[in-house]
Amino acid sequence: MTRYCMVIDQRRCIGCHSCTAACRMWNELPTDIVYNAVLNEGVKGEWPNVHRNWLPTLCMHCEKPACVPCCPTGASQQDADGTVWIEYDKCMACLACVNACPYGMRDQSKLQPRLHRFVRKCTFCRDKRKDDPSAQPYCVATCHQKARIFGDLDDPNSEVSKLVGSVETFRLLEDLGTEPQIYYIPDLGGVRK
Amino acid sequence: MRHHFWEWPIPTYLFLGGLGGGIFCLIAILSMCVYPNEAIIPELLVWPSFIAILALGFGCLMLVVDLGQPMVFYRAFVKSTSVLAWGARLLTVCMIFGLIWFVSYLPWEWISGLANFFAMFRALCLAIAGIAGTCIMLYTGIFLSTLKAHAFWATPALPVLFTVSALSTACAAITLSAGWWPFELNTGSIEAVLLYTAAMHAIHGILHTVDIILVACEVVVLLVMVLSFLGAGNKTANRVAHKWIHGSYAAFFWVGMMGIGLLIPEFIYIFLGGVASSVVAPVMVLCGGLLLRFMVVNSDERAPLPGEDRYYNRLVDHDAEFIHKWTYGENVF
Repeated sequence: MTRYCMVIDQRRCIGCHSCTAACRMWNELPTDIVYNAVLNEGVKGEWPNVHRNWLPTLCMHCEKPACVPCCPTGASQQDADGTVWIEYDKCMACLACVNACPYGMRDQSKLQPRLHRFVRKCTFCRDKRKDDPSAQPYCVATCHQKARIFGDLDDPNSEVSKLVGSVETFRLLEDLGTEPQIYYIPDLGGVRK
Repeated sequence: MRHHFWEWPIPTYLFLGGLGGGIFCLIAILSMCVYPNEAIIPELLVWPSFIAILALGFGCLMLVVDLGQPMVFYRAFVKSTSVLAWGARLLTVCMIFGLIWFVSYLPWEWISGLANFFAMFRALCLAIAGIAGTCIMLYTGIFLSTLKAHAFWATPALPVLFTVSALSTACAAITLSAGWWPFELNTGSIEAVLLYTAAMHAIHGILHTVDIILVACEVVVLLVMVLSFLGAGNKTANRVAHKWIHGSYAAFFWVGMMGIGLLIPEFIYIFLGGVASSVVAPVMVLCGGLLLRFMVVNSDERAPLPGEDRYYNRLVDHDAEFIHKWTYGENVF
């Protein structure tokens, strides 16, 4: 069984935002929509021991997504491989899913015509993978630092599976019980278990 | 952090939905349980039922207006597992059966055939509308409380608060509107006048007592919910509770909701009578109910991701609109 996930290595991310740019280019996003913002809390520590902690984000493709059961039209769906996506032809933009997502990873563009809006989100580049199952999402393919690693968590030989099994990782807002499938390797950690 | 995704139509809809559902719930209880053998009681409650149908209809309109694609609102009836889809069905059922019950009392000659036909199903229609109305009251609170991303909504106290508030506002609306058209008082008959006076006195008496209890319960539930978040909620809920108690919402909470919406009407109900008790206090309760929905829906803070506030606060205002106009609407970055 395939279970897609992403490992984001904070030790490697330099905050260049090329993943954000690539995603926006390839998915032809309106200018007020960002699927994968790269966040940071500013410089931490005292000179000379300072560091900046980059947090690349995207839809967490949760195993138990809060956004799918609340959708009244069935537009929000989850594939067997764990990918959470929106069928635009079914969406009526009631924003229930936008309010349900604890990570704020869904939004509608206000630049679209008032009567033809729909909710958008990252789909792990589902359309690209439909033609080529081994294809990588654009944000992963464009990351020159190899900070984003995408693969099948259920495949014991995959890089993501090996990393999640061997390196200390964390997930965002784990206490909500949504089982997010984005694993982060902390920038000052990476300690072997 | 980006929030306030739902704008003014949604709290208006939650208020009107709860109000309409509550009115049908109370009409069904008064007509079928409290006074089952008094034919005049449902006749006096026909106009409140029309108010309820208008409230539900206007509430649905608000819900549709807020959609990104209003023309395809019918998609909300597709999926059964969603709370929102169940709400849409309940609203439809309540409006249809409530309308049939209302039409069965219409006095006009041209519709008398249909009214007489519907009159055979009055009890069934009112029972269904009453049950659906009760479910709508519950649903408005459950709908928000299932969205666990928002710490202030994700509490079992919210459905209780919304249900009590819906019943309280429904009591107020019925008090204001009972006994109007299409009920016609035969002023020539002393018996009819006495019967009308006794029935109105009974309805106002019971609603007056019930609303005193409901407003007291609402004060307790509201304070328990907000103060428990203030004392023991997680960081996000705690921040919202601080905003309500002594932050930017404090004036709305203490003066608007607690004062004008609950405590002053309660004082008027208990200690004053006449117009103050039958007009002023119900209007204040209705205003308090509307304010409650607005405050709750606008308190949609969720736990921010590390650095999220910093990221979105640094984005230039109206940047997207500028680029959109600059590129003549083309999707060029």
